[in-house]
Amino acid sequence: MSGKKLDSDIFELLETDINKGFSLIVEQYSTKLYWHIRRLVILHEDADDALQNTFLNAWRNIGKFRNESSLYTWLYAIATNEALTLINKRARNSEVSLDDLESIFANSREGSTWFDGNEAQVKLQNAILQLPEKQRIVFNFKYYEDLTYEDMSKILKTSVGALKASYHHAVKKIENIITKT
Amino acid sequence: MEKQGKILQDNPFKVPENYFDEISRKIVSATSGFSSEVKKVSLYRKLRPYMAIAASLALLVIIGYAIIQFSNSDKQIASLSDINLEAFTEIWINDIDIIKLEEDAASLVLFEEGSGVDKKEIIDYLLLESIDFNDIYEQLLY
Repeated sequence: MSGKKLDSDIFELLETDINKGFSLIVEQYSTKLYWHIRRLVILHEDADDALQNTFLNAWRNIGKFRNESSLYTWLYAIATNEALTLINKRARNSEVSLDDLESIFANSREGSTWFDGNEAQVKLQNAILQLPEKQRIVFNFKYYEDLTYEDMSKILKTSVGALKASYHHAVKKIENIITKT
Repeated sequence: MEKQGKILQDNPFKVPENYFDEISRKIVSATSGFSSEVKKVSLYRKLRPYMAIAASLALLVIIGYAIIQFSNSDKQIASLSDINLEAFTEIWINDIDIIKLEEDAASLVLFEEGSGVDKKEIIDYLLLESIDFNDIYEQLLY
């Protein structure tokens, strides 16, 4: 089902039966949003919290959503903000720098329970964690989710040119980090 | 980066079994306890944007009429199809301070001609890179 058709079906359903409409939103978007958040926050428990907060936030504000953007970009913007809020809170509450997998796992209850990567994947994730927050988001959007720059621009409220430059630099940085480790 | 192959795009992150089924149920039951703000939109709110457009058009018509009435008292205005360039210049262009316009636009034109990059794009990029603007100012000063 195309994005626009799905959105219009959801909005129709929200008008007639808001609970069913919202259930459809959760069913359609929860998996994608979870993985977007998870790649940023790394830990499953944190991603679980942020995902629930994302949908709570969406539920509270669904009446204000005026269809100026697609439901998809609106939800992704909320999810991104929730992930960043959680990352910043975690950093404030930690005495150590959380810029690699080992320190994040060591500083959590779940540890590496929900991570099963080989050496190359560990190197890549550690390299991504070295990027500034917003650049990580851009990199993940492009590399893992293959979002268009136009969609990214709507989600992050940043120009397409800046996003392209940011992704290009992110790739260079990651390549440099990986080849040095 | 593309040469690393699919292995790097395989997902190293795992989730508990049945997580996505359970989380959907959990979210839906959690949100059913909160009120949402979906409300019926009143007729007034639906018509408001059209009323705003109609009011703007009416205002434009009134202003246009007033300008024409005012101008007619001093100048002979021919219909647009009859006016020639010389007459147009004499009537309209001389009313605009061309020198002031050029001065105001000069710095913008130079910037865009020189860099070929939009100012907003540069600022957005700097923000994405989390660059401290104070560092840039220091570099420019010294």
